[in-house]
Amino acid sequence: MSQYLLLLYDNPANWKNFSPADMQKAIEKYMAWRAKLQNQGILRGGQKLADDVGKVLRSGNPAVRVTDGPYSETKEVLGGYFLLEAPDYPTAVKASRDCPHLEYGGTIEVRQVDDSVPNR
Amino acid sequence: MPVEVNHPSSELVDHLFRTSAGQMVSHLTRLLGPEHLDLAEEVVQDSLLKALQLWPHSGVPDNPAGWLFRVARNAALDAVRHRGLTVEKAPAVTAEILRGALPSVNDVTELEEQLRDDELRMVLMCCHPLLSPDARAALSLKTVGGFSVREIARAFLADEAAISQRLVRAKRQIRELKIRFELPTGRDLVARLDSSLEVLYLMFNEGYAALSGEELVRQELCREALRLAQLLAASSVGIPTAAALVALMAFQAARLPARVDAGGELVLLEDQDRALWDQGLIALGFHHFSMCAEGEAITPYHVQAAIAATHARAQNGEDPDWRMILEYYDQLMELGPSPIVALNRAVALSKVENAAAALSALDPLAHEPALKHYYLLPAVRGQMLVQVGDWEAASQCFREALERPCSEPERRFLQRKQAECRALTEGPRI
Repeated sequence: MSQYLLLLYDNPANWKNFSPADMQKAIEKYMAWRAKLQNQGILRGGQKLADDVGKVLRSGNPAVRVTDGPYSETKEVLGGYFLLEAPDYPTAVKASRDCPHLEYGGTIEVRQVDDSVPNR
Repeated sequence: MPVEVNHPSSELVDHLFRTSAGQMVSHLTRLLGPEHLDLAEEVVQDSLLKALQLWPHSGVPDNPAGWLFRVARNAALDAVRHRGLTVEKAPAVTAEILRGALPSVNDVTELEEQLRDDELRMVLMCCHPLLSPDARAALSLKTVGGFSVREIARAFLADEAAISQRLVRAKRQIRELKIRFELPTGRDLVARLDSSLEVLYLMFNEGYAALSGEELVRQELCREALRLAQLLAASSVGIPTAAALVALMAFQAARLPARVDAGGELVLLEDQDRALWDQGLIALGFHHFSMCAEGEAITPYHVQAAIAATHARAQNGEDPDWRMILEYYDQLMELGPSPIVALNRAVALSKVENAAAALSALDPLAHEPALKHYYLLPAVRGQMLVQVGDWEAASQCFREALERPCSEPERRFLQRKQAECRALTEGPRI
């Protein structure tokens, strides 16, 4: 079993014209998807990231440069993540495939956590 | 990295977002003043959006409505403090937002009462006689109803840009005319209530005209109109006429599930399976019907509610008391004669007397400009002609009806009727 990180990107402007009823429906879809992963026992965690653009640190000479996040020019932002436990990539991808995020125009990046050196 | 996963709370209550949006916009408009209606809408939309982005990850909070309120209020407070917003009595507003942000358990009933009062004022403000009549319903739906511009446009079969313009204009009028959020009194209150009931009646009828599944948003209009009419009827300024309107809407709404069969085909009132009628709504209808009798005034809403009640009293397979219904239509013609009432009266007349009598009653309506595009006039005429056995003329009527706007199930119904008549005209005579 390995852990997989699902990185959820979306363009917040996509939601701008959603009505209250549309938004409730979207939340219900996300909750149903989440509940399904929970019932399958593969969901290990997940958090929303704060709305600010974050900070980026780059090596530099003479000093490290700290700038605002990379999102100022791109429309898609990394909004949050989920952590799954699955036997392989296909299983993790299959679980992500019916995430409503995709239906609403978002992008999901799936990355396997490298556990080749076990953590104590 | 947190390993623990929050378990999602129970599912969201139906219409929670729409209802909360209406309550929050009304509430914040009272605090900020009607001139800042746009801001109230903006912070409410943002709070819903926050929920949409957060809850899928964190789970739904224990008190979702309370959570939304807190976020919206904080955003409003932020705007007052940092955007240099000119709000009348800004310190008092800040104090109230801060106080309201942390309601104690004991305050819950008080808070609910306050919210209902805010919604009521909002309806009465949106239906201000100085606002253009076509803006009143749209503005009510947008603010207390929690509908989006797109939903309102779909519900009224109107253009999104046109609805948008209507709303912008109405909000500008509110600012320029300095329309207040306070409850009017005396003669003003009466005028405002009349206008509100008219708007809700229109809203309900728009929704009621929807028959097919893809028009579901239009049926939402019925639900919202009924909810707001109940709010009016139950308020301190409630008048028996509001109860009459609630009764009328409840009886009509009760029949919604029986109007279309499983195949999506139209079912006429007399053929409807009464077991499908919503008994809860029927009970609500009778409750308000008895309430509306308390006043002195008899309005068209009272009489229409009486007609709907007479239909609701009839048991499955039994005819309603048509004689009674015809009397009510006569009364309606006295209170406010209209070609639509006359058309409906003709149907009642056909039941009490016969189709020939109804046809004579329909004749004067033939050149009525108000019914020029109304498919039901030729459709009803066609039905009557079928009853007197004039298939050819009936077929012609159904063809005419098909040339006028109507819903898909209605169109199929008319086509079926026309085909039947044609077959009887052309088919072998026995």
